[in-house]
Amino acid sequence: MSAVPTLLQADLLPEGLEIGFKIVPAVIVVGMMTLFLGVGFAFKVADTDDMWVAGRSIGNLENGMAIGANWMSAASYLGMAALIALSGVYGLAFVVGWTTGYFVLLIFMAAQMRRFGKYTAPDFVGDRFNSDTARALAAVTTFLIGFVYAIGQARGMGLVGMYILGDITQVVPIPGLDAYQAMMILFMLLTIGYLTLSGMLGATKNMALQYIILIGAFLVGLFATGWAAGYSTFVPQLQYGALITALGAEFSAPFAGGSYYLWIATCFSLVFGTCGLPHVLVRFYTVENERTARWSCAWGLFFISILYLSAPAFAAFGTSLYGDQVGAVYGDPGMSSAAADVIVVLAAQLANLPPWLVGFVAAGGIAAAIATVAGLFIAASSAISHDIYANIVNEDATQRQQVLVGRLSIVAIGLLTIVFALDPQQPIAALVSYAFSLAAIVLFPMFFLGLWWENTNRQGALAGMTTGLAVWFVPMLNEANFGILTTPEGQTAFVPFLETWMPAIGAALVGVPIVFAVTILVSAVTDEPPLRTKQMVRQCHSPEPMPKNTTAAEVVADRTGETPADD
Amino acid sequence: MYDDILVPTDGSDVANAAVDHAVDVASKYDATIHALFVADTDMVAYSLGTEQVDRIRQGNFAEMTELREDAEAATGRVLDRATAAGLDAVERHAGGRPQDVIADYAEEAGVDLIVMGSHGRSGVRRALLGSVTERTLRSTHVPVLVVDYVEEES
Repeated sequence: MSAVPTLLQADLLPEGLEIGFKIVPAVIVVGMMTLFLGVGFAFKVADTDDMWVAGRSIGNLENGMAIGANWMSAASYLGMAALIALSGVYGLAFVVGWTTGYFVLLIFMAAQMRRFGKYTAPDFVGDRFNSDTARALAAVTTFLIGFVYAIGQARGMGLVGMYILGDITQVVPIPGLDAYQAMMILFMLLTIGYLTLSGMLGATKNMALQYIILIGAFLVGLFATGWAAGYSTFVPQLQYGALITALGAEFSAPFAGGSYYLWIATCFSLVFGTCGLPHVLVRFYTVENERTARWSCAWGLFFISILYLSAPAFAAFGTSLYGDQVGAVYGDPGMSSAAADVIVVLAAQLANLPPWLVGFVAAGGIAAAIATVAGLFIAASSAISHDIYANIVNEDATQRQQVLVGRLSIVAIGLLTIVFALDPQQPIAALVSYAFSLAAIVLFPMFFLGLWWENTNRQGALAGMTTGLAVWFVPMLNEANFGILTTPEGQTAFVPFLETWMPAIGAALVGVPIVFAVTILVSAVTDEPPLRTKQMVRQCHSPEPMPKNTTAAEVVADRTGETPADD
Repeated sequence: MYDDILVPTDGSDVANAAVDHAVDVASKYDATIHALFVADTDMVAYSLGTEQVDRIRQGNFAEMTELREDAEAATGRVLDRATAAGLDAVERHAGGRPQDVIADYAEEAGVDLIVMGSHGRSGVRRALLGSVTERTLRSTHVPVLVVDYVEEES
């Protein structure tokens, strides 16, 4: 049995959720987005008339919140509680995976990344392996990650949107679209509009504020729900434990919702995917020095944990309320994945909280999705306009041309996401974890080996990434995840054996070792990389602290001519 | 008449087309050439990511190696031409929206003439790519000499 029930019906309709237009929540969503824009505008990059003069630097705490905000997507806000509600203990793989990833990042990569000092993930890959092809492969992967990740967010926006705005097809009939699809398209267009507007206003994101608002909405929702329904008083994160036996074996028994192997595979994918996600790593390139990089990683983990310690409690309350008021949670028909995906909102609604409060929780979910999609689309557009266009296609590209290419790629990825999110086959968290599998299989080995083994060379990287991309597609196609293929009647995959041992959601457990092996083998049998590259890698681990605001490349360039110390 | 002449440049051929004109006018009046490179924050946001805009805001431009090289190459070219003609020259690297920065700089440094290149685009290409020169004309009161760049037939 698959842990993640496949959704076969075309209409995504969360049962139990009150669908209808609600003015106050609608105003809250608009207000939240306006606030983000307004604060971004207030803190916009004033024209710096001299770029050589030092400005304000971003501290650990603020950067940690920025990491938290970058991270807090519909998958964390809605999807995690959803999977716990649906599959019980299996869902904890997400809590464990998404936090452990930061430990690996902290120990092995944050400071080294900072030392290497590049702008984007493909930049790192291109410069470390001296290859435009490697850069292009990394850029394409970055684009793919953004796209797959965004499908999950789009699903979240569409589902929660129905609570706030109702079924707009009732008001304006749109042929061929159901309520979910119409809502998803509306919110995706809003997101693209938000991005354009923030670009036009010169508003850069104020991530710390975003984090505070989002975590506020989530925690207020949790405390109010626990209080109103009588489950908890002051520490819902612990008090939900009292419910666990009552929720049934599907919720509390380990591996009732999925095999032990599936749990490990999922967890593994999420841990290493976290370390390979371009929009997470980017925060480490921009901090002042490696110490700040380490501390902001630690703070980021703290801010993320606040959400993750609360999500299981929300899931338990939601599941219990659903069981009391809507119907049996498990069995046939059971709770649909659409209802699970809005369990956070549903729990608040079933606890009879006032509509404005439920709206606040729902608005937080939408805002988290919009803000994350905005970040993902910018990462994807930079992969296209900086890494592919300006570095490979047209090396003399002017700044205006890069802006144009960037904008066009945002529109392109937006449309692509809309098309694929029309009929998403999986819940939010599962969709997002495909992006994690991809990051873990293709990018993580490149970063890890690139930073820790100086003999990793161009041929190794190219072979590794190509193998990785192929390995990622196999289970995705096997389980018919893009909606291009249809699996045989009564089966969730073409090759059930492959589905058991290499599930798309946890493909990294098999994929990462393969890519590591290929990269190491090919690097070992081909020529060593140039000395300059090796020196850069060594510089990333030098025991001497590096001067503030310097990159490894500069240190090495300063020393050219000198014989490098052997180590 | 002209003591300070501003040459905004992004290092492109279009911008360089204006340099000869600027140097020629400047030698007649023995004026100082100001070479200005503006890192377009829109470009940085779309192509390097909004996090890099933070970096500019923090004044960590020095470590943005590629952008810095572009900036230095662009203004360096203008500087070389100016010094070759025996003129005084200063350079400045700034970040923001090009037209605003150019206008602000012109005012602050007491520039009496801006010389800049233009693509002479029209129609769809103009609507899509816009023209920094055109916007500068609208944001400053300083006289602007626009040098149209005609692409050589190849």
